[in-house]
Amino acid sequence: MTTLTRDPAHPTRHGQGSRQVRLRLGGPAWLVWRQHRAAFWTLIGLTLLAVVAMVFLRGQMMDYLSDQGATSRKSGGLPADFEKHFDRMFGVGSYLAYIPVLAGVFVGAPLFAGDLESGTAKLVTSQSVSRLRWLTMKLAMPTALLALCTAVLSAVFTWWWSPVKSLSDGLSWVSFFDVTGVVPVAFTLLTFAVGAAVGMLLRRTLVSTVVTLGIVVAIEVVWNRFWRNLGHVMSVSTDQGIGPGATQPDLPAQAEQQGQGTYFLTDSGARLDWTTCLDRSEDERAYTACLESKHVVGWSIDYLPVSQMHTMQWLGAGIMLTATAAVVAFVITWGRKRLL
Amino acid sequence: MDHAGTQHGDGTGFAYPAREAAIEARGLGKRYRRGWALRDVSFRLPAGRVCGLVGPNGAGKSTLMGLATHMIRPTTGALRVFGAAPGSTDAVLRTSFLTQEKPLFRRFTVAETLRLGHEFNPRWDQEVAEGIVRAGQVPMNAKVGTLSGGQRTRVAFALAFGKRPDLLILDEPMADLDPLVRRELMTTLTAEAAQHGTTVLVSSHMLAELEYICDYLLVIANGGLRLAGEVDELRAAHALLDVPGAGPSPALPPHRVIESRRGEGRPGVLVRLDGPMGYGGPAAEPPTLEELLLGYLRAPDAPPLIAPSARVGDIHDIITGDRKAVTA
Repeated sequence: MTTLTRDPAHPTRHGQGSRQVRLRLGGPAWLVWRQHRAAFWTLIGLTLLAVVAMVFLRGQMMDYLSDQGATSRKSGGLPADFEKHFDRMFGVGSYLAYIPVLAGVFVGAPLFAGDLESGTAKLVTSQSVSRLRWLTMKLAMPTALLALCTAVLSAVFTWWWSPVKSLSDGLSWVSFFDVTGVVPVAFTLLTFAVGAAVGMLLRRTLVSTVVTLGIVVAIEVVWNRFWRNLGHVMSVSTDQGIGPGATQPDLPAQAEQQGQGTYFLTDSGARLDWTTCLDRSEDERAYTACLESKHVVGWSIDYLPVSQMHTMQWLGAGIMLTATAAVVAFVITWGRKRLL
Repeated sequence: MDHAGTQHGDGTGFAYPAREAAIEARGLGKRYRRGWALRDVSFRLPAGRVCGLVGPNGAGKSTLMGLATHMIRPTTGALRVFGAAPGSTDAVLRTSFLTQEKPLFRRFTVAETLRLGHEFNPRWDQEVAEGIVRAGQVPMNAKVGTLSGGQRTRVAFALAFGKRPDLLILDEPMADLDPLVRRELMTTLTAEAAQHGTTVLVSSHMLAELEYICDYLLVIANGGLRLAGEVDELRAAHALLDVPGAGPSPALPPHRVIESRRGEGRPGVLVRLDGPMGYGGPAAEPPTLEELLLGYLRAPDAPPLIAPSARVGDIHDIITGDRKAVTA
């Protein structure tokens, strides 16, 4: 659709004989770009702004780290005043987490609702180009642009985070799960598609915007409860008893603890949760006797290792993209049959 | 004005035979939740005509136009545009539809609006479109949202004509225009249609102006077809009898009374002729188109009159229809 040609039918208006070769969009692509160009330019502009800001902040952070030198790192963890850089990263990260919401509400919802509300959907569909081509381009161009912008933002943010991700337990990978790697791209495409579908069904921009916001927030809630299940939970145990001298199991570096705290491990391999014998905890002897009667031999802790992060992100993105494809298929089917 | 008779003739120089139907509907019906908008409508509109579509508000005019342009799907029956199903590539390429609201992108300039036509229509004629816009002194670089209603209608017209349709469907195109612009655009319409042999289906409440542009007529009321045929044919089939007052007059049978009118306009009785006018009867005159239409609009229950040229199902249609069905 995008051709790098000069169109003889449309001579350039600026100056005679300017033979510049320029990017020319034709057909539905031209219309979609022209109609939504303000939104597209805003998107591109904000992305560039965010990239510049992140590159700058990362530079500051790297300067600070090299100033600190190797000494402080050896002592484990990061110095206390690293918090400033740490807060900035969390701040930017939390803004990035809003991208899917904004994409659904401001790009997805008005996409078809605007045309249906103003009647221009009738104008376009009464031209010679098939409805399918128009619908496809209308979905494809914002999808491509959103995918590009979120991929760039996610990549830059991941690049910012990577030098410090193993430096501190305070920067748990769990906080970065939604804003690095492939997840922001997939999530943004899903909310965009949902917004487009809502707009097509409700046919009013304002109503669609509000409803899309509600649905996107609901998706986010469900996702936050669900995504940890994408990983394969590991556990680490001790079998040296639970007496005063025994140590609790150590989590590997950067692992995220799961489950209900520390479990008791019995000699049969079964696990009892931390409330076991809690009613006798005032009396140490009775408590120990109680635990011994249950054959407790040690502790056990569940965790998700950082090594699974990538796999989980791709798995989650796969699920989101499948849902996106289903919504897009619905939009196209409905749009072809029942749009007007 | 009867340009179909004078310029379209019998098909010399035209791409399609004069017998071809621009629109053909059989048993066409559309039911909404609140009831039937259109019920059991069958007619054919021969190609090359400028056809007025008349009926009271809510009679089903817009529904019929939506059915012809694939915006609405029929509940019963079927409709064909030049023998093709609405929505098929062939029908879409040959049909242009200007809806009542004449939606345009308000933030586009006039030039960009025409560019839209160029990008979306392989048969686009930039000269025709620009000519229509220029004739109204509409600046090409003005945003559509800043134009007056008349200028916007002109741009919508340009978009519809630039597509070079064989069938142009206009839903209440003149409703929001002042009389001068209306007259001028209608002149443009008839001139363009005559020049390109375009079939035009135009709905309007401006009965007097329909008389000025139309040579064919479809009248619908209560979701059913009441009158269909050439204007001259239909007028000749009726007479306005100079019978004062109401009450049955011995002179009227065998003619069917459509409406007895008193009050405004010429007084008299509008009858559908069924046999020669007898000597010694009341003075009879053919009704004007406006009088004929008003009569039928006031009497929506009058039995329908479908002229032979507007009837579906002659042997020619069946043969071509079958041939197309086989090849499709």
